[in-house]
Amino acid sequence: MKTKLLVVAALITALSITKLPAQSMLNKLKKTAEDNALKKLGGKTGTTTTPGNTNTNTNTDPNSNGNNSNPSNNSGGGLISTPPDVKQSLADGDVAYKAGKYGEARYSVQQAMLGVELEIGNKILKSLPSTVSGLTTQTSEDQVTSTGYGWAGLTIHREYGNGNDKEFRVTVANNAAWMSSVNMYLSSGGYAQTTGGQQNWKQTKVKGYRAIIEYSEGSGYKLSVPIGQSSLVVLEGVNFASEPDMMTAANNFDYDGIKKMLGEQ
Amino acid sequence: MKKYFTFIILSVSVSAFAQDFDKNMATAKASYSSGNLEDARFAMEQMLRDLDVMIGKEILKMLPAKMGTLSANVADDNVTGGTGIAGLFVHRTYGVPPKMVVIDIMNNSPLISSLNALLSMPMMGMGGDPNQKQVKVQGYKSILRKNQNTETGKTDYELQVPFNNTLLTLKADDTNEAEILNFANLIPLPKIAQVAQ
Repeated sequence: MKTKLLVVAALITALSITKLPAQSMLNKLKKTAEDNALKKLGGKTGTTTTPGNTNTNTNTDPNSNGNNSNPSNNSGGGLISTPPDVKQSLADGDVAYKAGKYGEARYSVQQAMLGVELEIGNKILKSLPSTVSGLTTQTSEDQVTSTGYGWAGLTIHREYGNGNDKEFRVTVANNAAWMSSVNMYLSSGGYAQTTGGQQNWKQTKVKGYRAIIEYSEGSGYKLSVPIGQSSLVVLEGVNFASEPDMMTAANNFDYDGIKKMLGEQ
Repeated sequence: MKKYFTFIILSVSVSAFAQDFDKNMATAKASYSSGNLEDARFAMEQMLRDLDVMIGKEILKMLPAKMGTLSANVADDNVTGGTGIAGLFVHRTYGVPPKMVVIDIMNNSPLISSLNALLSMPMMGMGGDPNQKQVKVQGYKSILRKNQNTETGKTDYELQVPFNNTLLTLKADDTNEAEILNFANLIPLPKIAQVAQ
């Protein structure tokens, strides 16, 4: 046992003594190999490289992804976004259910639900104002997301901008998991507001709905408005001059209408 | 006699769900056709819940009536459907304390991804824990954990078998590795995987 310990100790000491020269030798070898490789590459592609500068672009083939063998994709139209056919999915679900294929029936009903949620989302998107505080809709950023499960629910997202650095984003989330934390803030009187120092969040009201407004140096204003039992509207304003500016923008939205379309009480 | 009684209860509850499913299907179709999307969506949520329960009952029928000498406590059988986060949940127990076996089956379980990560990278999390190891049950990679019960001083085992989006957990009190693996082999895993997915 003692002999073993002594051998291990001797090995550790030897390694720590020889570590520095061995490392410097390795570094030298590595540097020489790098320099040689760069010289060779420079000669092959016609680019000149200076020792130590490794940022030179030596890739002359537009179709190469650096591996020189596999072409990278530079065409193709992506996937076709087709929402599921609700009526067909329901009919399929009915047939599968009657045949006792419950797993198949569940899949079909999920597809139908996905289709309906996407329709609800698109309806809400259409109802949103086309401009907010002089910022116009960035149509390419419009987004409706659904899982078809009903629990992670439905998310609708739109962005407004003016091509400069001012931006306004709206996200409507139905059956959102984060609802509970926002409602906890609103229902608990224990979350007192601070009066001293920088006030970074507070409770407010938007068109009669209780809400929370937050400010962060990095991301700007954020207003969370819970509507109904399980829906939340989040408004984010980047480079808005003041809180009243943000509130004016928030007042452009028809919260009652969104709530009704989501079937909320 | 008890078996007949259970069968009658199961049949009555299944037919009640069948009626609900048909009713919700009719509501969903009518609401969607009239443009009432929210009511259609609500009816579909109910249908998904009903289907989860139906699937759960199918799974219960597949589970063995006995685990070794321990009989199933059919009266404590539990099936829940939840349209979501933990979707379908099936629960059955065998035996009486202090020697019990518990089977829990969860569909869409959030635990699945972390378990699959453990199973696909055996070096992760396995090496350091002498009470945990990978085993194969009916071809499915699974995680077996040993637990020393401080109260009873006996050894309990837990086996987790993830398949597709479903997680089966088998717990056995006062047992050993060979016995829990024998219990696991009594469960028709491929059939359950097929029905639950």
